[in-house]
Amino acid sequence: MSYERPYGGRRRRRDDYDNHDRRREFVETPEARLKATIIKFGEVDAEQELPTLASEIRKLQDPATIPVVSESLRLGVTEQPYKIPHYATLLRILCAPENGAEGENVSTDVEKPSLGRQILDDFWKGFQAYLDKLAWREARLCIHFFAHLTEAKVISPQSMLGLLQSFTAVLDEFGVSTGRAKRAARCAAEGLMRAGQALKDYSPAAVIEMIASIQTYNESVTGAKWLVQPVAKLYTQDAVALHADEILDCAVASLKVLEASDFSETSSVYLQPYGDLALLTATPFDLPAVLVPPEVIELDGISVDATEDVVVKKEEWPEYLLRLFDNDVTPDPSTPAGYAVRADLLDIVDIFEVNRKECARILAEYPKWTVSGTFKPRPGTPADVPDRDIFPGRDWQLESTIIETILGANFLLPEGAEKPVYYIALITELCKLSPQTVGPAVGKSIRKLYSYLGDGLDVEIGRRFAEWFSVHMSNFGFQWVWKEWVPDIALPVRHPKRVFIQRALELEIRLSYFDRILKTLPEPFQEPSAQAMPDQQPGPEYDYDDPASPHHDAAQSVLNQLRGRAKPEEVISLLESLKNTLVETTDGDINVDAVIRSIAVQSLLHIGSRSFSHFLNAIERYISLLRNLASGGLASGAAGSPEAKADILNVISTFWRRNRQMVGIVFDKLMQYQIVDPTDVVAWVFAHREAGLDWEVLKGAIDKANGRVVVARKRVAALRKEEDDTRARANASGGADNMEVDAEAKPEEPPAIESPQLVTALKAFASLTKEQKSTLSRVLDGFVSLLYTSAPEDISARKVVSESDWENRASWNDDEWKAWQNWVWYKHFCRAYAPFLRSYVTTLSVVSFAPIEGSDDEVALLMKKIWNLATGQE
Amino acid sequence: MAHVVTPLDQPSNYKDSQARVDRQKQNELLEKSSTLYIGNLSFYTTEEQIYDVFSKCANPEDGGGVKRIIMGLDRHTRTPCGFCFVEFYTHAEALASMRYVSGTKLDERIIRCDLDLGYRDGRQFGRGKSGGQVRDEHRQDYDPGRGGWGAQAQRLEIERRREVEERYADTQPGGPVAGGGDDWKEQNAAPAAVSNKRERSPDDEGDNTRQRARVEEAFRELDSGRM
Repeated sequence: MSYERPYGGRRRRRDDYDNHDRRREFVETPEARLKATIIKFGEVDAEQELPTLASEIRKLQDPATIPVVSESLRLGVTEQPYKIPHYATLLRILCAPENGAEGENVSTDVEKPSLGRQILDDFWKGFQAYLDKLAWREARLCIHFFAHLTEAKVISPQSMLGLLQSFTAVLDEFGVSTGRAKRAARCAAEGLMRAGQALKDYSPAAVIEMIASIQTYNESVTGAKWLVQPVAKLYTQDAVALHADEILDCAVASLKVLEASDFSETSSVYLQPYGDLALLTATPFDLPAVLVPPEVIELDGISVDATEDVVVKKEEWPEYLLRLFDNDVTPDPSTPAGYAVRADLLDIVDIFEVNRKECARILAEYPKWTVSGTFKPRPGTPADVPDRDIFPGRDWQLESTIIETILGANFLLPEGAEKPVYYIALITELCKLSPQTVGPAVGKSIRKLYSYLGDGLDVEIGRRFAEWFSVHMSNFGFQWVWKEWVPDIALPVRHPKRVFIQRALELEIRLSYFDRILKTLPEPFQEPSAQAMPDQQPGPEYDYDDPASPHHDAAQSVLNQLRGRAKPEEVISLLESLKNTLVETTDGDINVDAVIRSIAVQSLLHIGSRSFSHFLNAIERYISLLRNLASGGLASGAAGSPEAKADILNVISTFWRRNRQMVGIVFDKLMQYQIVDPTDVVAWVFAHREAGLDWEVLKGAIDKANGRVVVARKRVAALRKEEDDTRARANASGGADNMEVDAEAKPEEPPAIESPQLVTALKAFASLTKEQKSTLSRVLDGFVSLLYTSAPEDISARKVVSESDWENRASWNDDEWKAWQNWVWYKHFCRAYAPFLRSYVTTLSVVSFAPIEGSDDEVALLMKKIWNLATGQE
Repeated sequence: MAHVVTPLDQPSNYKDSQARVDRQKQNELLEKSSTLYIGNLSFYTTEEQIYDVFSKCANPEDGGGVKRIIMGLDRHTRTPCGFCFVEFYTHAEALASMRYVSGTKLDERIIRCDLDLGYRDGRQFGRGKSGGQVRDEHRQDYDPGRGGWGAQAQRLEIERRREVEERYADTQPGGPVAGGGDDWKEQNAAPAAVSNKRERSPDDEGDNTRQRARVEEAFRELDSGRM
């Protein structure tokens, strides 16, 4: 039950698998053994292993081993970037003449290129392949390798410069996307950071020019930066971020520092184990010229409406690294050494996503790959002596640096590269590995993040923070010192800190149970009046339970039928007779249809309230009843009526008012079963915002609409392919028969007739695309009315926008906080769904922005500003 | 990727002793499976708790999500006996759960996920003699989360137990299990429950299979990182 023996798994892995296990890699051939040795190179002591490994490689005279070595190096470089300086050294040694010691200049065969060159030649092919498929990270890490080799005088500076220039050339491409430019700029910048000295020796002007071109590009993306800053500022659109550094900003700043001192700092930032080796006498290797291939534009050819087909691309935004600690605790990423550490850690987190346990171990061992004195040694280890080497301005804390980096990756806006649950699980592994050192770093991070709440921390980060907090606590016995937050109960209920507390506890209850969580809290938080915890465990609220409640008998009769598993038609006719009775017995001032819907839906939810499966069984059994209810009139079988669907959603949210998780689940499944549409759910969200905008439910609806399009698109594509294959097969077999007889007959092949399935699939695709568009448009309408069409209660939307308003936030009330949160949710909606919004930009803005069109009101202007930035119109 | 470390999303070498397909076919099924077996659950853990954890691995934007959850029940008492199946809409979500959820805690127990061949009716019941999971019959330790000895002392747990006991009282062997909804516009054709798939009654394990199951369950125990 506890996290003991974190390493037990490794031993077991070796013993437990039977011989059929495909995971098992047998180290048997010399090639395989060599490969494993190269990949493991440096894990004990790189310096000691080096001569042995080099001679081992040389010993295998077979030319067939060259690809093996280069492939292993490629894997080593792209999957263990922290070892790159050592791999560069290895290659550098293999470039030296084979016989005789370094520098003796004994060459047996002048004609034959050195082993190192042959390997590098082959390595280059791998790099080219990464580039061809635009595998940016791999290409960038290969560039690290080349850059070290340039410093090691294996690669010629002019060819290295040429390589980096082909990446800066990308920045000048017409209409280059943010994502592409960002990655290309990082390739150039990181290559330059490592090889700057050699390159500047060769051509100072070219180096300065390259830095300038990265800087110029970087300065051109201010608007997009503002949109994804972790600390939101509504009053200004400048690109100066609080508590965060943008990765390209950092790269440029670091480069300028390095350049200013002619890159003399490089050797103290990056290991250069090759630095002590004697000069190579051979002519340096010239890297071939490359061109960064253009982005692939996905043309799947199934767009129904050619102008409005959505091709979703992720990662189109600048990346802000959130800072939680001071520069003397964790590295400032805008300094050369800080950038090096941050970028390395981010790469490790990225690469080892497939195995979080190994990732945690590698992160914890990271200091051994850095210049000594970079990190404080672990207390109590032999390195921890009073007069140890301390690198001025470094001596950082490893655990805090790692946690800050992982959280930064998790809190990227609009979304991280991986799901939040990965980063959460990774931090859990780190804590298991070394609770006494990682635990405090986690605690400090939580406190710091909490302190940012109310100072502008983006609502989406606040949401992910609560998610991390709850899952983390669930893994560590729900032990948190809640006491220190007790004074914040005095803040307004909608203050971000209180929103966080409420949310975090709600999520903890979902993962555990009410009584368990209640026990972890100090008394002030236990009080229902603190509005932190609900007054009882989450459960259903069946309004007709009490015999005294109106319609109790009617509801009871429905419930009995449902419990007896009556046929849907029977229930429908019962409802009709109940309706008739109601009409006769009551005055005209109640909505009889609404009452019937409430009785039916509540009763159905009631029989399904025992568990998720019970609920699913209930709606599956009574799907036709639900359809009937959603269609409005009990008798009519027409398509759904928005009013009836709104009613159904309202009944659900009333029935599960003490359990927001169930509201989400039920809404989701009703959309899944097409009882309600995403647009109905969107409408519900904007109609129920007493407790603030329910982003989770809103997101659920938008994702559902988008997800359906994805599924429909795949289905069409699959059917198309199937048909093409069938046709090709038919042609081929037909062709074989009459190949010689009548080669000319081919053009007469029957026109492509689409199968009935394909026609249906295309129809579904078209209608789902339409639904997607109307869902997005509904959301936009919702925000326009929420923020602009000032209904009296939302007048505060205009009172939170200016700088003086913001400075005055200490006196904000609930309405003002809610309004501020609505603004930031709007901002998040625009950036998170930007790829979709871009596809429909004209229609959406014409229709939904009609109310604010032409207005020079500050609210209208800000709304449009955000919209334009997100959709790339500014 | 991953030449340096072993990815966590590989299926274990557990073999369903009652599955009637050969090893190769099983591997093929596992390669696109969207179903997970979840083990080492507390007997008190609810489907909603499970839903909450696994929905963190869902990709609704790709048409995914938690399709259904099938709680593993004691064959005799119809109460949860510490395992379940979680079925997603997509394979990628199952893999994500293997990488990010397996080996973390739910309800304060380290749960273990394994890719599964896919749920079949009958599999929701424990295959042990007692009606529960085979593994529980070989357990030597006291385990308060699974109704071990002395559980009476755990007052909160008793309270939860009471709630749990009624929950699945109406479950029948071979009874319908929710389908979870299919792709758009397709659910009309085939409503949920696939009850004709039942191939073998849950309690006709021969001695041989029981022996094998014991070994396999022992593996599971090992793999789950708790002992």
